[in-house]
Amino acid sequence: MAEAYFPVGPGLGLEENFLSLDDILMSQEKLPGRAESALPRLAFALGQGSKPGDSLPEGSKLEIPLWLAKGLHDSKRRIIFLELPKIYKEAWRTVFSADANVVDLHKMGPYYYGFGSQLLNFDNPENPEIAQTILQAFNSASLLQTFISRFRRVMDCSQNAYNEDTSALVARLDELERALFRAGQKGLNDFQCWEKGHASQITASSLIQNYGKRKFTEVEG
Amino acid sequence: MEPAEAEFLAEKELVTIVPNFSLDRIHLIGGDLGPFNPGLPVEVPVWLAINLKQRQKCRLIPPEWMDVEKLEEIRDQERKEDTFTPMPSPYYMELTKLLLNYASDNIPKADEIRTLVKDTWDTRLAKLRLSADSFVRQQEAHAKLDNLTLMEINTTGTFLTQALDHMYKLRTNLQPGQSSQSQDF
Repeated sequence: MAEAYFPVGPGLGLEENFLSLDDILMSQEKLPGRAESALPRLAFALGQGSKPGDSLPEGSKLEIPLWLAKGLHDSKRRIIFLELPKIYKEAWRTVFSADANVVDLHKMGPYYYGFGSQLLNFDNPENPEIAQTILQAFNSASLLQTFISRFRRVMDCSQNAYNEDTSALVARLDELERALFRAGQKGLNDFQCWEKGHASQITASSLIQNYGKRKFTEVEG
Repeated sequence: MEPAEAEFLAEKELVTIVPNFSLDRIHLIGGDLGPFNPGLPVEVPVWLAINLKQRQKCRLIPPEWMDVEKLEEIRDQERKEDTFTPMPSPYYMELTKLLLNYASDNIPKADEIRTLVKDTWDTRLAKLRLSADSFVRQQEAHAKLDNLTLMEINTTGTFLTQALDHMYKLRTNLQPGQSSQSQDF
């Protein structure tokens, strides 16, 4: 079944893939921010007021999902001001540059890379120099360095762990790294199966096995 | 591509057999084979050799490189060099597996050969991981891997290309031209 199913993969750039389920889930993640103008009758929708019809005063703190933040963010019309989430800030970037392998990206993410790439869309007009240095530094140093320094571990784990319980290895990986891990494991497993001669045997597809169909002999008896 | 498909390609390689039947020259789409005479060596593709062997119609002569001393030399050479050394056959892994599984009675010291080839394979894969790591670390955009065989490329290929794909996207995230780093391939 897996060969005949072509899911839309995550975009991992400035633009997400419209039909990618991973990207849709990723864009649900919340961003800290604050309202730069009063938003009438929207307090309830943004999870703050007590009854429908309350308006949101200027300057109130907000937690906005990424998709909404992208829609509302505009460098000219000041509707909302967005902050960087703390894992993309200076302090955490220092941690990543020290040793990216110790960070539990699944707890931080689980879409650390995708979400971080999307954040590059909001270069802030108030403080362009800060935004630019943050984004620049964060893009070229942090995000990529993180990926690069974690690459070896993902590779070694996925290529060496044959017939082992991999749940402990995978627990700290970001979704992107998990997909990569699965690709590595598949290569290894396919090769091992072939080497042992399992590949030449025809087996029932996993779809049929999961059906729980009774065997013909069981029906007879 | 699956290992079985790499094996399919490997089965086109030629090996020498000694048949125990006689048959005129046969004309196949990929070339003519034979004639087959009892006791006289003749070159055939691996798929045919294995089929005839299973029907007990021939004896198989192992390829020249499938020899303990030669393989030991290759293994030692592989351990000494930093890059990949040329292998005796582009399908050494597939051929070893096929020939040892179906015709181990015709190959002297089959077990030792199996161990040696497996050692060589492990050395090469460890080397491949090491070079992939430094490749990613230095953010290279191209590499030359002359002496890797299809099976070796195949086991880590998907993983490596996916990882490099991600890395490329992360590098070019900021608009092209704005960051000098993404353009200097």
